[in-house]
Amino acid sequence: MNSTGNRPPSLAVSIGGLTLKNPVMPASGTFGYGEEYAPFADLNRLGAVVTKGISLLPRAGNPPPRIMETPAGMLNAVGLQNVGVRAFVAEKLPYLRQHDVPVIVNIFGEAVDEYAAVAEILSRAGGVHALEVNISCPNVKKGGIAFGARPESAAEVTAAVRGNTDLPVIVKLTPNVTDIVEIALAVESAGAHALSLINTLLGMSIDVERRVPHLQNITGGLSGPAVRPVAVRMVWQVAGRVKVPVIGVGGIVDSASALEFLIAGARAVQVGTGQFVNPRMTLDVIEGIEAYLERHGMKDVQDLIGSLQCTSAR
Amino acid sequence: MLSNRETAPGHFHMVLGLPVPIADPVPGQFVMVRMPDRLDPLLARPLGIYGFSRQAGEARLELLYRVAGKGTALLSGLSTGRVLQVLGPLGRGFRIVPELRTVILVAGGIGIAPLTFLAEHYRGLPAVVEGREIVCYVGARCSEALVGLERMEALCSRVVVTTDDGTCGACGIVTEPLGLDLPSFRPGATVIYACGPGAMLRCLADMLRESPVPCQVSVEERMACGLGACLGCAVAIRSGENALSYVRVCKEGPVFDIHELDWK
Ligand SMILES: Cc1cc2nc3c(=O)[nH]c(=O)nc-3n(C[C@H](O)[C@H](O)[C@H](O)COP(=O)(O)OP(=O)(O)OC[C@H]3O[C@@H](n4cnc5c(N)ncnc54)[C@H](O)[C@@H]3O)c2cc1C
Ligand SMILES: Cc1cc2nc3c(=O)[nH]c(=O)nc-3n(C[C@H](O)[C@H](O)[C@H](O)COP(=O)(O)O)c2cc1C
Ligand code: FES
Repeated sequence: MNSTGNRPPSLAVSIGGLTLKNPVMPASGTFGYGEEYAPFADLNRLGAVVTKGISLLPRAGNPPPRIMETPAGMLNAVGLQNVGVRAFVAEKLPYLRQHDVPVIVNIFGEAVDEYAAVAEILSRAGGVHALEVNISCPNVKKGGIAFGARPESAAEVTAAVRGNTDLPVIVKLTPNVTDIVEIALAVESAGAHALSLINTLLGMSIDVERRVPHLQNITGGLSGPAVRPVAVRMVWQVAGRVKVPVIGVGGIVDSASALEFLIAGARAVQVGTGQFVNPRMTLDVIEGIEAYLERHGMKDVQDLIGSLQCTSAR
Repeated sequence: MLSNRETAPGHFHMVLGLPVPIADPVPGQFVMVRMPDRLDPLLARPLGIYGFSRQAGEARLELLYRVAGKGTALLSGLSTGRVLQVLGPLGRGFRIVPELRTVILVAGGIGIAPLTFLAEHYRGLPAVVEGREIVCYVGARCSEALVGLERMEALCSRVVVTTDDGTCGACGIVTEPLGLDLPSFRPGATVIYACGPGAMLRCLADMLRESPVPCQVSVEERMACGLGACLGCAVAIRSGENALSYVRVCKEGPVFDIHELDWK
């Protein structure tokens, strides 16, 4: 009960058959495997937990420096360092299973059959509730162009993962494309249950005194408030064209920025870099959304989703 | 913030009062500091713990920092009473070995900050051994960049100073006098602790390659989360023949055994 004696608004949403108690979750790669943030944000209060990208074999990652702060954002070139799917299942998943929160495992590969193999192992592991497929990775067999950069390869990965799992499949789109709607439609037809967007924008920054790139990897992925307008625009474009739910990601650092995504049509949101700014950011966002709904007399977050008031064409 | 004083050009001593209880920090641990009302700079900055005390129920945290860029410049302009976001204590600090007789500290520039807290900690330990000596080798660019010397002198049996330009102490780099004294350290009774610029630590690693004297170093890397979640702060360690792997400065570090790290 709130101050006016009404019931608090409902925040629950459903994504690909999975019911989330609220639409807020951490973004992959910014939350480790869940343990690091637990002292700050009780995992049981989150809509879901999304883990660091997992591949078939462990990966060492890129040499340092891996990160650099840029205006209102940061570049990272972590290089998808991870423990590999077997160690994940044996060492990381048991911790997550102790909680009452859906676990979404982010996966990637360098070849289509690698995605499929990881998906299969995770589906049999128990305690995984959905897969989020990162298609921003270079396709090693096809000259290193990202799977997510072309509708055909994006659809191929999606179909391969779908074919190897009964779990809901969320496909995470890269913004480094000319037409994100085209990719979104291709992935939807290939069977994705939901889409999440955006992954990081490819960027670069230079130390002018020494005339060297700030990152050892030269280029890196840009995240944080700097990318938010791009992410909101892409979510709005995609949500207007696909039937499956869209999860909005990019630059959320308070509840107002999360609300932008929901109003643009996202059914849920992920907080990435914002957690580095404040480790309890996910909870602040949940509380802020609830307060907003109350202030606007809305009983259900569904009333907010896609409620953008605008008359001109998409 | 209780105070924020410039102690040498471009170097500041900040004292923070902590309203929420925190665990007693171990020397070598750090905190992530951010101005909560700003999104530019966006990320918190890692700063080593210079001092910690409890007075009448309130915990006080001391930081010693050098203005290195945008974040620390803004920090240096803040006045008493400002509220900062402080996350910590974080990371794995120095391993304390109470039964050793000789504690050697090697500080380069602002690297003196965590080593001062360490010296204070050793001073406060119950006397397991008689006549423990703490010797500190301090190096800086010039006399103006020698910060925190007085406090260190009060804690140590002996302080050896070098400056790159010879404006204070011996002219040269701090590893030179240390190298001369190295043969006189008794391996089973001595530990070396070091914190400073990469070049100094690399030089030290080279010098100690064949030495039986153990050495712990505190290293720096850019950080985003400070909690072990983002994998942004990786440094390379040697894991077997030619194999490299990465560890997190914020979680497995910032203190490492000097021979564990890959200095190439
Ligand atoms: C564990 C640890 C303890 C530290 N303790 C101290 C201390 O006690 N006193 C002190 O003066 N400095 C300390 N530093 C270094 C301090 O964090 C940097 O000087 C500071 O982050 C620079 O920020 P800036 O915004 O002023 O500089 P900018 O150059 O504008 O910073 C840009 C980005 O680079 C990062 N960065 C730049 N230099 C460093 C560096 N040397 N190490 C890590 N990140 C860096 C910043 O965090 C930021 O993300 C420590 C670093 C680490 C990792
Ligand atoms: C350090 C770091 C690591 C990331 N790792 C992954 C990853 O493993 N898989 C993935 O799909 N996205 C990864 N991302 C992208 C984020 O999940 C998110 O899509 C992006 O950062 C934009 O959101 P933000 O602005 O809220 O951070 C990573 C981002 C950062 C900053
Ligand atoms: S700073 Fe994020 S893992 Fe170390």
